[in-house]
Amino acid sequence: MSRDSVSRRQALQQVAMLLGGAISAPTLAGALSRGTRPAWATSRQWAPRTLSPAQLELVATIAEHIIPQTDTPGARGAGVHRFVDTLLSDHYPPEERDRFLAGLADVQGKHFLEATPQQQIALLKAMDEAAYPPVRIDSARPPETWFFRRMKEVTLVGYYTSEIGASRELRVNPMGTFLGDIPFPASGGREWS
Amino acid sequence: MTSYDAIVIGSGITGGWAAKELTEKGLRTLVIERGRNVVHRKDYITEHKPNWQFPLRNARLSVGTKGAEDYPIQARTNQFRESNKHFFVNDHKHPYIEEKPFTWIQGDQVGGKSLIWGRQVYRWSDLDFEANLRDGHGVDWPIRYADIAPWYGYVERFIGVSGEKLGLPQLPDGEFQPPMEMNAGEKFVKAGIEQTFPSRHVTIGRVAILTQPLHGRLPCHYCGPCERGCSTGSYFSSQSSTLPAAQATGRLTIVPDSIVHSVLYDASKNRVTGVSVLDTNTKATREYHARVVFVCASALGTARILLNSTSVRFPNGLANSSGVLGHYLMDHHFLVGARGGIEGLLDRYYQGNRPNGIYIPRFRNLGDDASRRDYLRGFGYQGGASRQGWGRGSDERGFGAELKRQLRDPGHWSIGITAFGECLPREDNFAALSDQTDEFGIPVLRIHCTWGDNELAMRKDMAASAAEMLEAAGVKDVRTYDAHREGGLGAEPGLGIHEMGTARMGRDPNTSVLNAYNQAHDVPNLFVTDGACMASSSCVNPSITYMALTARACDYAVGELKRGNL
Repeated sequence: MSRDSVSRRQALQQVAMLLGGAISAPTLAGALSRGTRPAWATSRQWAPRTLSPAQLELVATIAEHIIPQTDTPGARGAGVHRFVDTLLSDHYPPEERDRFLAGLADVQGKHFLEATPQQQIALLKAMDEAAYPPVRIDSARPPETWFFRRMKEVTLVGYYTSEIGASRELRVNPMGTFLGDIPFPASGGREWS
Repeated sequence: MTSYDAIVIGSGITGGWAAKELTEKGLRTLVIERGRNVVHRKDYITEHKPNWQFPLRNARLSVGTKGAEDYPIQARTNQFRESNKHFFVNDHKHPYIEEKPFTWIQGDQVGGKSLIWGRQVYRWSDLDFEANLRDGHGVDWPIRYADIAPWYGYVERFIGVSGEKLGLPQLPDGEFQPPMEMNAGEKFVKAGIEQTFPSRHVTIGRVAILTQPLHGRLPCHYCGPCERGCSTGSYFSSQSSTLPAAQATGRLTIVPDSIVHSVLYDASKNRVTGVSVLDTNTKATREYHARVVFVCASALGTARILLNSTSVRFPNGLANSSGVLGHYLMDHHFLVGARGGIEGLLDRYYQGNRPNGIYIPRFRNLGDDASRRDYLRGFGYQGGASRQGWGRGSDERGFGAELKRQLRDPGHWSIGITAFGECLPREDNFAALSDQTDEFGIPVLRIHCTWGDNELAMRKDMAASAAEMLEAAGVKDVRTYDAHREGGLGAEPGLGIHEMGTARMGRDPNTSVLNAYNQAHDVPNLFVTDGACMASSSCVNPSITYMALTARACDYAVGELKRGNL
């Protein structure tokens, strides 16, 4: 065993200690057995559990249009599509999951993935305008626009709670002191994630 | 060992205090906790964990979602999240019957709900202690502010409370550490409200969170989510404060995973002699014996234990000759108020996550011209201002690079205030044993509790006054809200997690369970010092009053033991 893997084992055990022993022995063993992987967090092969590969690509494509790569990575780079698959698999009740999948099917029914980026954006713009009428009606938003609003919401949550979104696009609010009333530049600042 | 000087049932806010006081006064003390052990620091498994390390990004786990399957009751509180669900009970293992909607939030573990409590601490005043006598609802408190004031100070010096002195008779000042700071939005609203309403005050919350070091605990580092546990002990919990103090005496024993089935009673001596316990893992029974028993199992947990402790002398529950045990259940009614937006101040921001908000002390029915004819007693507000975050993006039109650029800046300021109102003590709000039992064979509670006409009338003013103050302060787009749904969920009793009153204190043994020292009228060596003891509810958060009453009761009990009276 190389020096490197010894220190990795120690690091893993320290993590396990910090987590109160929450990492089980098999998980630890599994992580250690893949000595070539760069980081323990990536030691498990990821695969979608609810979305098909085509649906996963559709989610990643829509999400990237909502939060695109600029001077920081966009939704795809932050893995929003993976987060959406986790939400659908581990959080949404079956009815809500099926409603979301039906919304994806509607969009793909318009051959979204085969369209050019400009055509995709035009379609999303139409959906966005239908979902957010200029006169705001709090009590009832058009139910047929539920999918787009939900897609936008999970994109923002998935992006801004990711490490990239929270710490590179925005700033992590640092712990240490509380400053209740400090100046903020009118532009060019970053909000706390 | 099965014999001790004292037994304390429960290790939460009051059980921890009883353990500290009794051991420091020389008693070998056994603390019995029905939940698992939680070790300070080591078992705060989500502390400082960033959201991206949670599979659901620290989602609020609401009722009906996956991840909340075992928590159909606990998930009703918006405190319940992916990051702290391990400090709430599995509802399938902690059943009770709701005859009317009643949400019983439980944290059965060493430390109890002291790990996840709201940490807001306000002294009661004689406005509260005299309320029952004045309007005839409930029985007169057997104590007044002067009886408890020194004990408030005693508690504050130990737990550490940060806050601002106001000099208000209805909200007595305590011994405070420096207050946390308000942000620009809160300062704006404070100035506007106090200018329009000179007798109303907006202050920073008084919290059991340190702003200066105290007894080896460090000041708050403003990470934000206290309820995951705090390794620096910056907020008061049994783990950070009382249990270590008790441990240091060498006279403390804690047994977790042990459910008290009943308290043992010897009719020939008219004394309790100990407790009968079930091991939650093996279901084996054990007995422990002691000279004095403190029941600190939470208002409903305590009622259940005492109701299940029957004998020829007490066929309807221990120390229940009055018949009021289980009755006069109360909670604070809340989730009603107003919110709106503040224009400008876009050059002001804040840094750090302050685990605290603003407080507006009670201003109604103080005996002056602000008295109302439509309801009795009063309410206070808790709230806060902040700049909108990235979440606003999902509520507005637009996407793409322009949306991403906009969401880099914090949004406009918004402010919200939520009222917490006093609940009258009523006999028909009660918990009783049902004919169903849990997996340990102990009868489960059936709970019957509703808001009455007084609470419902008060809620109208709670919403209207909130809007009136915010509008007077110049807040825009003010909207009121009230989550209460008659007969349904939304702001049902219990959700305030201030349940209290099931074994009330009083002057008359015929109408109350406990005397002025939290001692059972019927049985001299039995004490109840948790929320069960409350004869009324005030409108302020109750925990510090439980703590002060516990310390006072321990002092009295040890004195009586030494005098040979127990």
